Amino acid sequence: MFLRILQKDLKRKKTMNIILFLFIVLATMFVSSGINNVVTVMNGTDYYLDKAGVGDFIILTMGDNAVGSLNEMLETEGAIKEYRLEQILFGSQGYMTKADGSELKSKNSSLYQSMEGAAITFFDKENEPITKIEPGHIYVTGMVMEENDLQPGDVIRLKHNGVELEFILDGMAKDALLGSDFMGNTRFIMCDADMQKLLANEAIYDHYRGEICYIDTDDVKAIKAAMAEVPNIAFDGPRSTIKLAYVMDMIVAFVVLILSVCLIIVSFVVLKFTITFTITEEFREIGVMKAIGLSNGKIRSLYIVKYLLMSVLGAMVGFFGSVPFGKLLLDSVSKKMVLGNDNAILINFLGAVLVVCVILLFAYLCTGKVKKATPVDAIRSGQTGERYKNKTVLRIQKCPTGNALFMALNDVLSSPKRFLSIIISFGLCTLFVLILVNTTATMKSDKLIYTFGTRSDLYLSDSQVMDNLGGGTKEDLLSYMDKLGEELTEEGMPAQLALELIYKYPITFQGNDFILTCQQGLNTKASEYKYIEGVAPESKNEISITPQISEMFGAKIGDTITIHFGKQDVECMITAYHQTMNQLGEIIRLHEEAPTDFKFAAGSLHYQINFLDAPDEEEIELRKERIKKLFDNDKVMNSTEYCIDCTMVAGTLESVQLLLLGITLVVVMLVTILMERSFIADEKGQIAILKAIGFRDSAIIKWHVYRFGLVGLLAVILAAVCSIPMTELCINPIFGMMGAVDVDYNIDPLQIFLLYPGAVLVMTVLVAWLTALYTKTIKSSDTASVE
Amino acid sequence: MAVLEVKDLCKTYVVNKRQNNVLKNVNFAVEDGEMVAIMGPSGSGKSTLLYAVSGMDAATSGNVMFEGKDLTRLTNKDLATLRLDEMGFIFQQMYMMKNLTILDNIVLPAMESKKSGESKKEKLERGEELMRKLGIMEVADNDINEVSGGQLQRACICRSMINKPKVLFADEPTGALNRTASNEVMEELVKLNKEGTTIMMVTHDVKVAAKCSRVLYIVDGNIKGEYISPEGADVQEKDRERRLNNWLMELGW
Repeated sequence: MFLRILQKDLKRKKTMNIILFLFIVLATMFVSSGINNVVTVMNGTDYYLDKAGVGDFIILTMGDNAVGSLNEMLETEGAIKEYRLEQILFGSQGYMTKADGSELKSKNSSLYQSMEGAAITFFDKENEPITKIEPGHIYVTGMVMEENDLQPGDVIRLKHNGVELEFILDGMAKDALLGSDFMGNTRFIMCDADMQKLLANEAIYDHYRGEICYIDTDDVKAIKAAMAEVPNIAFDGPRSTIKLAYVMDMIVAFVVLILSVCLIIVSFVVLKFTITFTITEEFREIGVMKAIGLSNGKIRSLYIVKYLLMSVLGAMVGFFGSVPFGKLLLDSVSKKMVLGNDNAILINFLGAVLVVCVILLFAYLCTGKVKKATPVDAIRSGQTGERYKNKTVLRIQKCPTGNALFMALNDVLSSPKRFLSIIISFGLCTLFVLILVNTTATMKSDKLIYTFGTRSDLYLSDSQVMDNLGGGTKEDLLSYMDKLGEELTEEGMPAQLALELIYKYPITFQGNDFILTCQQGLNTKASEYKYIEGVAPESKNEISITPQISEMFGAKIGDTITIHFGKQDVECMITAYHQTMNQLGEIIRLHEEAPTDFKFAAGSLHYQINFLDAPDEEEIELRKERIKKLFDNDKVMNSTEYCIDCTMVAGTLESVQLLLLGITLVVVMLVTILMERSFIADEKGQIAILKAIGFRDSAIIKWHVYRFGLVGLLAVILAAVCSIPMTELCINPIFGMMGAVDVDYNIDPLQIFLLYPGAVLVMTVLVAWLTALYTKTIKSSDTASVE
Repeated sequence: MAVLEVKDLCKTYVVNKRQNNVLKNVNFAVEDGEMVAIMGPSGSGKSTLLYAVSGMDAATSGNVMFEGKDLTRLTNKDLATLRLDEMGFIFQQMYMMKNLTILDNIVLPAMESKKSGESKKEKLERGEELMRKLGIMEVADNDINEVSGGQLQRACICRSMINKPKVLFADEPTGALNRTASNEVMEELVKLNKEGTTIMMVTHDVKVAAKCSRVLYIVDGNIKGEYISPEGADVQEKDRERRLNNWLMELGW
């Protein structure tokens, strides 16, 4: 009997059961993939670094006598549990050329090493470990392939101190250490035979060798202190620094995480609605069953068994859908990282089980109303008339709108709970897209310029800077900059050039020694920068630090630290805090007269071109193109392009933004279709009677579409209003990790209040209209057959 | 003058590949101001006939002439306008819009109709007047589940009358009501008919049918007989019922 009632129910209420089943499938897909993505993203960089075998502390040495310089420290330092060394060669950007002879564009200097000598694991684009490279073949890390429009199979050539080698490009290798754009070096991986051809050259062997050491330790501080004595260090840092270097990629990952959480919430909200809705639909049956004497327990178990069957079936289908759906989201995160977790299938399965449990819980809670139901409910469909407040909110005579809009508005206001799940679903999805839009717009503007330096008219990237730093003096570099300025003046573009130089200096604070990055401007003054607290350094023994450094060492404004400038030690007082996204915020800003020495120079930012005749924006753009031609250099940027170049993630964020807008629109579409079909099934009697009394199909469709339009409008307005504070709340911590603690977001009102909410609203209205066309199938004569 | 003329009306349903001829060449006419009852056993096609002649359901063949217009040739749009402006409907199940008050439900068709050219206020006053007339003014602001069945059915009558229809179609209007409520509703319908509204109703109830001027008896989709109610004030209600009952018994009721 029990089973026969179930069978009948499944057949008779086919539409509602199909709708519920589809919701269960979708919810399982979203929840399973969502939980898996959350776990994956939370362990994102750790998983990748562990899988690659990057240790707890990493050291990179470069230059004459670099090989072997670490040996003593590695043998004597007791905090080292284990270490792995790999030999590398380095060279300039221009050493690699494409088949057509053009230089391979890459950031900073390049590293070359053999596959056989690698101490970490590299991965191909399918996330499989690269184990072997054939002679004459090569892998390249980072985004060099995309930036140079290279394809696997292309030929590239290496010319290094007279040694010429030709390689067939096998593809991109994912490099856990140097693969992030923040680390900035490109690594070329070849077979040992090819590497030996390079090492056979005396000049390369003597001047271009280096080492990378991966250390396993529990005491990073001890290793950091021991490093103060080691020469030839190009980079040293704990695993946490490498993790931070992926922070831009993790922005996208966190976007996926928030989306996943958002989809989980939407799934449960919609499920709760559907279950409550379908059980309310059953009041007539429940009343009849009570009338014939069935016990509460029996009636409840009937519905719980029904939901159990549907949820198990739906969860099974959803589980299989969740695997590709989750992968689609994760693949969008980063092409440079290996994201995943070893228990993905298990987590997806547990997600599906969770959905079944939650559905049963909802069903149990909703069927609790069975206890209160009486046989009268069979007559009154769950309405007893015991209400002390009028349900109807609007009155037709007082509403200036047409009938369809009045009925829609009245429905929404009279039964807001019924539409709450739509408002939550649409609002959350839209809010999430808008947060991403704000973040991308900020990344694509020059709002972050002060976290990279000072504002200039144009920025010029010139690889010659490193050569000047290597052999020359500060005066040489200044005269080179003056020469560039004169060239521009001769071309009718009077300008002065400025440059930010990066130094690595040992410092002492409260008796502890450290090596820290310092920044000093050439032709810029410390007073030209923005400070978040305190006053700009005014003399050579005054400095500004970042909040990150303050937190790291406990140094505060007013404290004094000793900087060992080489020839002299200077006691410097901290006068201000500044923010910077360079070196992930770990930078000391020096006064322009601080006694820096090029021997300690570790790099530079771009040349800043400041025009002296105050040209307008249009003229600056024209001059940009002229300077590109004049210096035969494509890397001339305005301040916005410079910021985009520095953050490197705007492009990825933009594509993720489009993907997520797509997912949001699909969610909106599915929720609208299923909700509208539910409403039509519920309101069949009302639709029929409206038709019987002479309402046209178009008026009924309008009534249904207006309802979705109104709740959709409310949802997107709420989302747009909340988007600005929510962007600050969600994204500030991520910018904070990168060094920017006080971000002024670029809010584009057109996108936030019109374009994206408009897209969601148009989708809602369009899909509601298409689904509402189904009301045409209900005839006025159905009044006689509606239950 | 006939306000409604039905010629060779057929209606066939196909269920599970089986043809079911519900109406077979039905012919009759309803004169202006008449009150006609359609009676017959369950499944004889009474409701189907009512829906077909009111344009709510399409006929398979034949013609339904409503004031010279052939309903079978009108578009859905025109039929909807006709139902809104010229016809009124009362059903056994008292369907109303759940989120509207009783008064708003009543005036809703008037607000949708452009026939009268009245203002919203005038339409509302007409709705209130109808409610007052049918004695349900005190529930004007109630929700639909806060009134009794009899009150709700009277509200449905008000709604059906709001656009001053030429014909009122009623499908077992007292079917879901108790005897007292049923009498009240019928009294109102008779009153409306006396005021000039043509009424065509389907009913099982001899007491209800006895109030009509004419009764059509339908069996298996065919009109088997036609009964003209005796006129005159001297004919007592009980007598009318008895005569009708006798006639029905002769036809196998």
